[in-house]
Amino acid sequence: MTKIRNLADLRKIKTEVQRKNSLREGGYKVCVTVHMGTCGIAAGARDIMRVLLDNLEKSGRKDIRATTSGCLGLCSHEPLVTVERLNEKPVRYALLNDEKMDRIFKEHVIGGKPVMEYVLTEGMDTED
Amino acid sequence: MKRIRAHLLMCFGTSCLAGGVQLVKEAILRELEKRDLLDEVNIVETGCNGFCANGPIMVMYPGGYFYQKLKPEDAPELVEEHILKGRPVKRLMYVDAKTEKVIPYLHDIPFFGKQKTRVLRNKGLIAAENIDEYIAREGYEAAYRAVKEITPQGIVDEVKKSGLRGRGGGGFPTGLKWEFAARESADQKYVLCNADEGDPGAFMDRSILEADPHAVVEGMIIAARAVGASRGYVYCRAEYPLALERLGKAINVCREYGLLGDNIFDSDFSFDIEISKGAGAFVCGEETALMASIEGRRGEPRPRPPFPAQKGLWGRPTVLNNVETYANVPLIIRNGADWYTEVGTEKSKGTKIFALTGAVNNVGLVEVPMGTMLGEIVYDIGGGIRDGRPFKAAQIGGPSGGCIPKEHLNVPVDYESLDKLGAIMGSGGLIIMDDNTCMVDLARFFLEFVQDESCGKCPPCRIGTKRMLEILERITQGKGEEGDIEKLEKLAYRIKETALCGLGQTAPNPVLSTIRHFREEYEEHIRYKYCRAGVCADLVRAPCQNECPAGVDVPGYVSLISEGRYREALELHRERNPFPSICSRVCMHTCETKCRRTQLDSPVSIRALKRFLADTETEYFSMPVVVEDENRARHKVAIIGAGPSGLSCAYFLARIGYKPTVFESRPEPGGMLRYGIPEYRLPKKVLDQEIRLIRNLGVEIKTNTSLGKDFTIEGLREEGFDAVYLAIGAWGSMRLGIEGEDARGVHGAVDFLEKTNTGEDLARLGDVVVIGGGHAAIDSARTALRLDSDSVTLIYRRTRDEMPVSPEELDEAEREGIRVKYLVTPVKFLTEDGRLRAVTCRNMSLGEFDRSGRRRPVPVEESAFDLPVDTAIVAIGQQTDEDAFRGDGVLQLNRNKTVQIDRDSRATNLPYVFAGGDIVRGPSSVVHAIADGQETAVCIDRYIMQEPDFKYPWTGEKVLDTKFDPDADPVETPRVDTPTVALSDRRRNFHEVEIALTEKQARLEAERCLRCDYREEK
Amino acid sequence: MTASTEKCSCEVLEEELLATLDDQLEAYKGMPGGLIPALHVAQGLFGYIPRSAIRHVSEVLDIPMSEVYGVVSFYHFFTTQPRGKHTVSVCLGTACYVRGGKRVLEAFKQKLGIDVGATTPDGQFTLEVARCFGACGLAPAVRVDEDVHRRVKPTKIGAILEQYAEEITEPEEAAV
Repeated sequence: MTKIRNLADLRKIKTEVQRKNSLREGGYKVCVTVHMGTCGIAAGARDIMRVLLDNLEKSGRKDIRATTSGCLGLCSHEPLVTVERLNEKPVRYALLNDEKMDRIFKEHVIGGKPVMEYVLTEGMDTED
Repeated sequence: MKRIRAHLLMCFGTSCLAGGVQLVKEAILRELEKRDLLDEVNIVETGCNGFCANGPIMVMYPGGYFYQKLKPEDAPELVEEHILKGRPVKRLMYVDAKTEKVIPYLHDIPFFGKQKTRVLRNKGLIAAENIDEYIAREGYEAAYRAVKEITPQGIVDEVKKSGLRGRGGGGFPTGLKWEFAARESADQKYVLCNADEGDPGAFMDRSILEADPHAVVEGMIIAARAVGASRGYVYCRAEYPLALERLGKAINVCREYGLLGDNIFDSDFSFDIEISKGAGAFVCGEETALMASIEGRRGEPRPRPPFPAQKGLWGRPTVLNNVETYANVPLIIRNGADWYTEVGTEKSKGTKIFALTGAVNNVGLVEVPMGTMLGEIVYDIGGGIRDGRPFKAAQIGGPSGGCIPKEHLNVPVDYESLDKLGAIMGSGGLIIMDDNTCMVDLARFFLEFVQDESCGKCPPCRIGTKRMLEILERITQGKGEEGDIEKLEKLAYRIKETALCGLGQTAPNPVLSTIRHFREEYEEHIRYKYCRAGVCADLVRAPCQNECPAGVDVPGYVSLISEGRYREALELHRERNPFPSICSRVCMHTCETKCRRTQLDSPVSIRALKRFLADTETEYFSMPVVVEDENRARHKVAIIGAGPSGLSCAYFLARIGYKPTVFESRPEPGGMLRYGIPEYRLPKKVLDQEIRLIRNLGVEIKTNTSLGKDFTIEGLREEGFDAVYLAIGAWGSMRLGIEGEDARGVHGAVDFLEKTNTGEDLARLGDVVVIGGGHAAIDSARTALRLDSDSVTLIYRRTRDEMPVSPEELDEAEREGIRVKYLVTPVKFLTEDGRLRAVTCRNMSLGEFDRSGRRRPVPVEESAFDLPVDTAIVAIGQQTDEDAFRGDGVLQLNRNKTVQIDRDSRATNLPYVFAGGDIVRGPSSVVHAIADGQETAVCIDRYIMQEPDFKYPWTGEKVLDTKFDPDADPVETPRVDTPTVALSDRRRNFHEVEIALTEKQARLEAERCLRCDYREEK
Repeated sequence: MTASTEKCSCEVLEEELLATLDDQLEAYKGMPGGLIPALHVAQGLFGYIPRSAIRHVSEVLDIPMSEVYGVVSFYHFFTTQPRGKHTVSVCLGTACYVRGGKRVLEAFKQKLGIDVGATTPDGQFTLEVARCFGACGLAPAVRVDEDVHRRVKPTKIGAILEQYAEEITEPEEAAV
């Protein structure tokens, strides 16, 4: 791995990641994030991830990105998952279990229709 | 062949079934049939949806519309609007009760919207283990600036200017700490990160390390550059395996990238970090103990000075900050101190992260600007208290901190304001407690924790806290003694002054803080052996019984019902409360709110069981022991007021041999039970029957005899009465004090109810508005609806959440057709020829928190509107009726016109005059009035007989021989609610609304009792 | 804590473990602050820190036995007692506490017939009190080995213990 020596090196990584992670440029249509802090894992986030990956494999789709992230802060609503489809607002799901994740994959990730009864919110919560 | 228009997925889980989903389904089927749609709709019965709180639930496809809280009455609208016309019925969809918006956008959800995510800006956005994603969010640019673009002094200056203070608890200015260490010259300096987050309930640091470990690493790099350190340690507790793993990976990848190690960014600055894994000792959160532990020794603190900045780890200058502090640093260096100070208060800058836990709906990690009101964190971000229970206190700062009671929900959360209340910011544990938490037990819990974690080096902490714990244990076991509180305080101050380290010096805080804000709970434990929260096992037989003001043996009579032993059950009930039949209809049944069955499914339907029980009594009364006592019979006792409190006092006095006389100013006995509560809730014949029971005991009731007119208190004394119980209630309707209140058509609630209860003809009411949110308001509204009215609207200045009346009663009122408008208050009554024609109202919004812990309604500018009405009923509260009672000139009154009594003797300023019920409490509940009567009977007897050891037949528990198998696992069974008559049968009449359970239902329901009273044979 | 699940008084095994310990201790020789990481290694190998391991740590790191003992006894994480095959930790952190953790603990005590810190006579379960493992949102929480059981009710503990009891009895029966 090359060492980072200056600001330009940092910026290069930044541009690269942003390109890769952006749904459009990364060639992805959907990004699914499972929030896996200790709370999430205790609440069953690993199982959710497994269901997600199983579904992904079965679907054979290459334009869906599955990723993990840390705690969202809303521990009482774990497990939490964010589904972001190209050109759409991210949708956040709460209190999931295997069946619910299964349905979300089929109806929202593939089908494009959010599963309203499990939706917590849409949109992002950071300032920038 | 018809096509299927819609699929209805109806939840048939236990909870929805109990909520009546079957009836909803039948209603929908009927509506479909009416419109010939049966073949076009497919109804599917599904398993539990998990959203039980809002059941019955139905999901409708296509579209996946989520309907909740369905009632059979909703069926026509659902079928007509949604299925036939394709217009979803918004009214029935999932909504946040307060905002009424159907699909929440993230910022509209207060949990997210009210937060200010700075330190947690990457939470949930980046893959924590991927450094590139951190870099993509401007990561390590601040480190670059710190190493290459600004001087170490420049860093220190910027951090000082930002006002950043230690987030670990103490709040010491971070920049200053760094400056001290920077000034030292040494061959080696250290930068340490305290990730030994040991406070119970705190998990801020863990979350940061798990979600964004690079932010901490970057903060440490900047600190190292500022003070000239080349080595760093993160001391992280072993209980955080995931945080340890992610941090370890972050450090390794930094080394690969050259962000840690030699010549970072091609400069002469070198710095590396190691992880030191803790081994489970709370005291190691203290800085000197933490350093001892890194050095591989027992983690015992040492006295300061020397401070770590001079002599720290291995005797070298050392900077120690906690995780959150470091995570703030890159933001300051990247965005500048000016940006940083945009948020916060004068002396507390930036944001603070809290681990919000306990009895709130939204448990989690929240980041808010310093200075945010505590109430906003609890109610907006936290979503309020679970199950709609009342907020009692917030414990902030862990075992070193203190609690904040409901009177101070307005406190801005910053270092100084919390300090003033005897709490501290601490590291950010924020535990919210409801009325199920005992404050004495909480203090005991924290002290037990500290005692357990005391390193033992200094005696004040090791022995002092042990002594305090022993006292607290005694108190919670019912062995408290007078003087214990003072002893605790004395020990606490001594320990604070003399303990060696922060752990010991702050250990007594939770005790001092609970004594400061909840002293009366300590006194209740010590003097009355009573734990109001129902927590202290030695003082609580069963939570329901503990909660009952009259102390009725609930599990006892419930278990007797389950065995069909109704007479015994009634007898047991009457040990502590003579009015099972009345209470089965009007009691607030707070017993049910404490039922442990709630943890399994839902509380036992105690009041419905009582109603069934009362209805089995048709011919004669099942009565407990009544003692003949010639000695007591000779003493004359006068009771003024034949309401529930006066009658109850007469009953208990009669049971030990007295023959008291009750004076009643009105034509019939019963007080508010007769003249305040409407017939449809409490039929007069039920009341008459149970009053007859009192008379049967030899109690004389003199009606039409008024205090002040027909007799005086002093006159009674002259007539030879030894004692007087004053229980005349609170019959004065409070006035709004606004223009037009004396117009024809405006009534006080008490007057209005009394008139209707005595059959006075009120003529046509027309359109009615009722003002208020308590029981009198609901009773007035439902009464008006049954009279000759066109419409009834209830207006309340707060929201449904703050209403004193129970949700079931409100639901029932709405079902009957009463419209309820929240956040509306009257400003003026508009009249025409002295007769009411409209009410000018104003919209309100909820502002700051008042001392009752509720948000104060504040008027919305220019929101006035006129509500055309013919009748207005003002039900905003009651007080002593001054026309009837002026304290008789001899009694001391409080400012609110209630009578002053001594809590223990229940005597007024005249030793032979006792008082209770509403005249003492202000408007309160029937069961409190009954309890006061019971308690006063004992006080009066003690006053007259002077026999402190006399055994009252109703005290002490009765031994029960009902069967109970403690090993059987309870089966989840739905609760049966009190059945009611159909809405159509309630129009224009005062027939009783509630009906009794069937015997089969009642016995099954009674079997649901978990028998918390059960104890192993001793 | 992986090796600890194989509870075995077999001396051969202990010899092997001590040899492994000696190997791993080399890394901490002469390292400042090396004692605590070394003890973490020992505890990881044995599941607890037996007398023999303390002696080895003392010898290899050249730290007096008394000092090693002092450190071992100071920290809750280290224990000198062998443990049950399964550790039941009942969280009594405040959030769990206020949501009924105490009642859950009482139920475990009754069900297992042991006090806190003790191991059942059959060597199956050790009962512990934990100080919050960060599952406050799921209070009251109980951890059995690595599994966190959330919202535990006193009435449900039988079912929880059963899961683990089954897990062990099966292979044992198979072995017989």
